Amino acid sequence: MAEIILKNITKEYENGFQAVKHIDLEIKDNEFVILVGPSGCGKSTTLRMIAGLEDISEGDLYLDGVRINDVSPQNRDIAMVFQNYALYPHMTVYQNIAYSLRIKKVPKDEIDRRVKEVASSLGLTDLLDRKPGQLSGGQKQRVAMGRAIIRHPKAFLMDEPLSNLDAKLRGQMRVEIADLYQRLNTTFIYVTHDQTEAMTLGTKIVVMRDGEIQQTDNPTNLFNYPANKFVAGFIGTPTMNFFDAEVVEENGQVWLKTKDGKIRATEEKAAKLREGNWIGKAVTGGIRPEHTVFCSEEEAAFKGEVSVFELLGSNAIIYVQCGDERIVLNTDDTVHQEHGKSVYMKVKESRLHIFDPETERTITN
Amino acid sequence: MNTRYSDNRPLPLRILELLGKILILGTAGIFTAFPFIWMIVSSLKTKADILNTSVFFPPDPQWSNITSILFDSPIPKYIFNSAWVSLVIVALQIISGAMLAYALVFLKFRGNKLLFGIVMGTYMLPVAATYIPSYIILADWHMLDSFKGLIISSTVSIFGIFLLRQGFMQIPKGLVEAARMDGASHWRALWEIVCPMTKSSFITFGLMNFISTYNNYMWPSLITKTSNYFLVSQGLRAFFIRDGAYGTEWALVMAASAVVVVPLLILFAFTQKWFINGIGGETGIKG
Repeated sequence: MAEIILKNITKEYENGFQAVKHIDLEIKDNEFVILVGPSGCGKSTTLRMIAGLEDISEGDLYLDGVRINDVSPQNRDIAMVFQNYALYPHMTVYQNIAYSLRIKKVPKDEIDRRVKEVASSLGLTDLLDRKPGQLSGGQKQRVAMGRAIIRHPKAFLMDEPLSNLDAKLRGQMRVEIADLYQRLNTTFIYVTHDQTEAMTLGTKIVVMRDGEIQQTDNPTNLFNYPANKFVAGFIGTPTMNFFDAEVVEENGQVWLKTKDGKIRATEEKAAKLREGNWIGKAVTGGIRPEHTVFCSEEEAAFKGEVSVFELLGSNAIIYVQCGDERIVLNTDDTVHQEHGKSVYMKVKESRLHIFDPETERTITN
Repeated sequence: MNTRYSDNRPLPLRILELLGKILILGTAGIFTAFPFIWMIVSSLKTKADILNTSVFFPPDPQWSNITSILFDSPIPKYIFNSAWVSLVIVALQIISGAMLAYALVFLKFRGNKLLFGIVMGTYMLPVAATYIPSYIILADWHMLDSFKGLIISSTVSIFGIFLLRQGFMQIPKGLVEAARMDGASHWRALWEIVCPMTKSSFITFGLMNFISTYNNYMWPSLITKTSNYFLVSQGLRAFFIRDGAYGTEWALVMAASAVVVVPLLILFAFTQKWFINGIGGETGIKG
């Protein structure tokens, strides 16, 4: 049970560098919140401020309505899983998991019962007498989670917990974390730079860049309605195609004129463009690879030459060079495309995103 | 085979090299150990034999020298004084040193580097330069000529702070942060997480400072006058010049010196493994 509210939180270091700039964020009870963004965006710093491991330079942090800026981490009742696990090397797995309960002076037999319960739920029962040095990466990860779970904390913080694992194990642990979330019914705050983790685990995703929040929303909305070009480019693989275009109006119909052709704006998008006075102006268009398709020359918005064809099994990624722009297609048509072949492409009009080229804000999705 | 790698050189060359090593190391070893051996040997001689340089080993070992030191002299009392005063001092030095080193390494605060600079700056100061101010402070506090004064004036060891800081810096900060998140106070994190991981630094610190406090002569002799409060070095000197017998009771002086060293040798034998580790910078953390 925890509701965490960040109000106008800023982290400024002694040298004047601002790692986090005036962010506001409301995390409701039982939410799985993901802080995602490129390295240096301030996501880990934000998490560490919630944990109490970094001082807050400005703003207020509330946990269940109580301001906790000056509460030390030991008294916040929040558990954290670290990127490098941070297991105590001189203690056994049992002692590592039991440590927080020992501090709380929980009776020995109850500690024993709870450690065994947690160990069995994480498949650690046979490893309880081992030291962390004798464990594999995945096992260490489980011990780190066990150490967090056993306390029944108000919230779980996870700082890139899967980044030290290999791809296969990462996928497996991701499922385990999702399962854990379902079972524990507690607030999770999870930092990652991996947007697959973000999209699959989170109920709410916070996209950050340069210490600022770019957008906070659920995975579906984030994917379909990005607030700006950065979010549009950050969420989704392969990344969204961006292209320069000019908004024109012909016979009452609004079009985006590209280098090689034009794209009709749907009624809804046309209304937004008219409303914002964009007719006759340059904009940045965006279309996801899965919404870009091959077509005939007459319908084409883009033309170019195939540069790379990647077959992924049930689908294929095709990279097409169009002058100095590159358009990527994600298609389930897996017929091989020769390098250098001339192709024509159009977009699914309803899935077109249009951005302000100056501010990079979304004009219409 | 005990060789680490195969040696294809001819046998005579290898023997020659071995002999060379034995010669160099043996000579260095004898030079280092000779005064000590001489002391032990002399402690079993008569007064006359000591001054007779043509005889090295005692023809008739005088065990009575040792027994008279153990049972009829104040030396055991001085050993006891030295031992418990050193023990208390080292305990206080470990506590204060560990706390400061922890703050320097794991806490973020303004002036952290400056503080460390000042601490190290005092290390550069000649010890004798602090005698007068320390003496005046102890006099003001009415602690001259007392165990209290001896202990209070040595509660902080700069060397120890430095040694522990170097050890602590090998520990990933995440471990202390994890302990904090687990609900541990800084005090618990220091003694339950950091200390067990830097055991050899603590043992090295404890042993080295125990030896130097145990043997300390100059400072205790400045602040204590009553023989009840003497530590061994000072006690030895008092014993040496007792009753105006300056330099006449050599055999007993040697026996007393030998007896005084025994506790240190025993201590060293038990902690040797950790001691060497600590000096080598090994903190017991692997991989």
